[in-house]
Amino acid sequence: MIIEIRTREKYSENEETGFIGRMAHAGLKVKAARLSRLYRVEADFGRAEFDRLGAELLTDPVTETYSLGRPKAGIKGWRVEVWLKDSVTDVVGESVKGVISDVLGKEPKTVRFGRAYYVACDSELKLKRAVAGTLVNETVNKFGIEKI
Amino acid sequence: MNELAEFNSLNPKQLEALDKAAGWSLNAAELAEVQRQFRKTDRQPTRGELETIAQTWSEHCKHKTFSGPVAYRDGPRTKKYKNLFKETIVKATKTLNRSWCLSVFKDNAGIVEFGKDGKWGLAFKAETHNHPCAVEPYGGAETGVGGVIRDILGVGLGAKPVLNTDTLCFGRLDRKYRLPKNALGPERVMRGVVEGVRDYGNRIGIPTAAGGIYFDDGYLLNPLVYVGCAGLIPVDKIKKSVVPGDLIVSIGGRTGRDGIHGATFSSANIEEETGSSAVQIGHAVNEKKALDVLMRARDLGLYNAVTDCGAGGFSSAIGELGSETGARVRLEKALLKDTRIEPWEIWVSESQERMILSVPKSKLKRLAALLGAENCEYCVLGEFPGDGRLLVTHGDALVVDVPMAFLHGGVPNLEKPAVKRSVKVSGKTPVAPKDFGKALEALLAHPNVCSRHSIITQYDHEVQGGTVGKPLQGRFGDGPGDAAVIWPQTATLDLKDYSGFAVGHGFAPAVGRLDPYQMALHSIDEAVRNLLAAGADVSRVAILDNFCAASPRDPEVMGDLVQAAEGCLDAALAYGAPFISGKDSFYNQSRDADGKEYPIPLSLLISATAPVEDVRRTVTINFKEAGNPVYLAGVSLRGMGGSVYNELADTGNNAVAGLDMKAAVKLYAALARAMKAGCVAAAHDVSQGGLAVTLAEMAFSGGLGAELDLSAAVREKGLTVTELLFGESPARLVLEVTKERETEFLKIVKGLPAAEIGYVKEEPELSAAEGGGQLFSACIEKLKTCWKKELI
Repeated sequence: MIIEIRTREKYSENEETGFIGRMAHAGLKVKAARLSRLYRVEADFGRAEFDRLGAELLTDPVTETYSLGRPKAGIKGWRVEVWLKDSVTDVVGESVKGVISDVLGKEPKTVRFGRAYYVACDSELKLKRAVAGTLVNETVNKFGIEKI
Repeated sequence: MNELAEFNSLNPKQLEALDKAAGWSLNAAELAEVQRQFRKTDRQPTRGELETIAQTWSEHCKHKTFSGPVAYRDGPRTKKYKNLFKETIVKATKTLNRSWCLSVFKDNAGIVEFGKDGKWGLAFKAETHNHPCAVEPYGGAETGVGGVIRDILGVGLGAKPVLNTDTLCFGRLDRKYRLPKNALGPERVMRGVVEGVRDYGNRIGIPTAAGGIYFDDGYLLNPLVYVGCAGLIPVDKIKKSVVPGDLIVSIGGRTGRDGIHGATFSSANIEEETGSSAVQIGHAVNEKKALDVLMRARDLGLYNAVTDCGAGGFSSAIGELGSETGARVRLEKALLKDTRIEPWEIWVSESQERMILSVPKSKLKRLAALLGAENCEYCVLGEFPGDGRLLVTHGDALVVDVPMAFLHGGVPNLEKPAVKRSVKVSGKTPVAPKDFGKALEALLAHPNVCSRHSIITQYDHEVQGGTVGKPLQGRFGDGPGDAAVIWPQTATLDLKDYSGFAVGHGFAPAVGRLDPYQMALHSIDEAVRNLLAAGADVSRVAILDNFCAASPRDPEVMGDLVQAAEGCLDAALAYGAPFISGKDSFYNQSRDADGKEYPIPLSLLISATAPVEDVRRTVTINFKEAGNPVYLAGVSLRGMGGSVYNELADTGNNAVAGLDMKAAVKLYAALARAMKAGCVAAAHDVSQGGLAVTLAEMAFSGGLGAELDLSAAVREKGLTVTELLFGESPARLVLEVTKERETEFLKIVKGLPAAEIGYVKEEPELSAAEGGGQLFSACIEKLKTCWKKELI
């Protein structure tokens, strides 16, 4: 299960502006963007338990919302997902795994931490180039782009 | 690797090929020595043995270049050094023989006396983590910070970290480069490094409050990441010794395949194919658990010795602790992240957040209880037997069985040739700018001068509640502080004792390109001046040297190193400031996509610390009160060499101003007395950008203007206005003197080069004149806008 956390729209301007600026610096004109944190939790938990993790553990309820699976994109363009490669130790994932065990009393198999970027722009190729040049280091990261 | 079975009979070419395939970075002489040793024992070495030797003899662990013999040629003269490091850096400390130096050059960090009652020592260490940051900036920076914190945890029986420092060097962000495949652009590197420093320091709860950022083309493919840490240790916990029979206990993180060959990696230039195996991943929360356990276990006397697992992993840490007693290690006992790992990999893995303790058997139970309470994992790997032999097994398999004497004393050290580089120096009159005001604005916006607020504010510099001298200072909390002043009450737990310490830096690679000897002098002087400007006691300065250089196979690189090391010796003696610890990093050299070589310039970071008797009297840089007189202390000398202004506009003059150390020491002693007497309201050193930049920073940080006439400034004959305003001659400070105490101030500085150059005024305007003619007049808000640009 992937739990996706987003900043509520009324608080998200700063992070989106920063992201658009970075992309512009990498030669990509971005019209609009939304950013998310991703937690891939591999566990035999029920939906109610994943909901509890999203609501009580991983989200700041004042400024953020969560969804199990993908939220509505709200943007026409591409969705970029960035993860650490499976062979790379994910310390955020490890910490979250420990806390999940404290909250639910049972330990998930693995937790991995990633990020998603919803990007409205004209060119997938340019987007790919900009992502490779700014958001990921292919020594340790893997990423994927899909049309939304 | 079949060649291992025939190691003893391989020819030099085959040995070289094997070394390259295994990634050991041993040279031909070293490989031959290893072969000779194992031929004597009449058996082939194991992979684990070769890995151990490669780690132990690596540049990172043995510092072969700096500690080796050098033949330095300067024209017809040749000077021979048996051990360059001992004959320069260590010599300075030995000659000075300061009673307040409690532990130097023999442990993970240097320790000096701290506070009034002789109960505490201040441990200080700076490291570099350059190669890992070039490959993976975030992970490299994180583990650099984690590593230097572990040096502080592993000094003596463990010091409590109270300050992190970071000095970072990157390629210019405003230039277009063609990078080789897999190389990361400077912005990407900078962002990753800053995030790594931020996340590790913030998560572990240690303030990151001192350092700097420097941009130069030379750092394009080889960024420099200097990370430092200071901590407090009770004086009676400085001595450690492994007792034969003690258990080898590893606490903290688990062992995985991450970071294999980090130590040997530092002995090689970065090539295109450098891969992820050299990358290490940091886990600040695990290190915090180890930190908390260590502090409690130390005070309860639950172990006899401790050291950190850094480069080389168990191999280096256990080898170091057991260098006299020997060690018997059973690797099957190690806690692993991943079971798909070879025994030799467990032995050399550089997985982070691990500390090795030497624990008496009778105390293991109590230690285990503490570890359990902090949820900190541990394993007992073996014992220190006292027979001087390193025996490492995994089940029935032999991994390492070599005498410690060979491991630590067997490395052959060949003489390196060094030659003085010839540099064309022009001392002609520098071309003046058309508009001094516009030149000042351009200087303030230069990447090596402008505000670092967008980076500094990402770091938690307030955690622990003891950061008195802050990295951002002034009326609006955004002016550039000269030095961090720390009140380490979280370690002493004494809220009535206001003893603190200051940490400042000196760094002048642009000067080093022209004159490496003067670079060392300027760097030490700048570090001392930064401490002085914060109100520290500069008669008690202790310094760290961190050299970074390109390939030492180049005699000119070695020549630069020799000159800088000689400069360190001379300056340390003149300032009475002993070196207490240091590190070096070589092979910082790579090619871009066009085949152009990018060797870094010789880069010497001087980190300095000095006591602050009462942190409540810390001095900051911003102008405080209209009407107060402004003084320029120090002699302004001719020469634009190494200045930021010369990067903006070629003045045709690249002469480096020579430092008169004797005069500087005399001046600083008087200024320190004036500060102690409360005569000085604000102080700021004249460094990058020159006097005009210093004055602008003091003005806009205080929200006050100044009316200045520079005619009275003490100067070398023939000095031009350009040199006065924008030259970077050393040993100068600008002081705002308290009006009511000006007479007292003048008495103290009588006969010294300190001249009144104007006064602070309410109007937000910085005006400077010279001999009746106006040089510039600028609105301080406008100057601040030029300076305060976003780096990230």
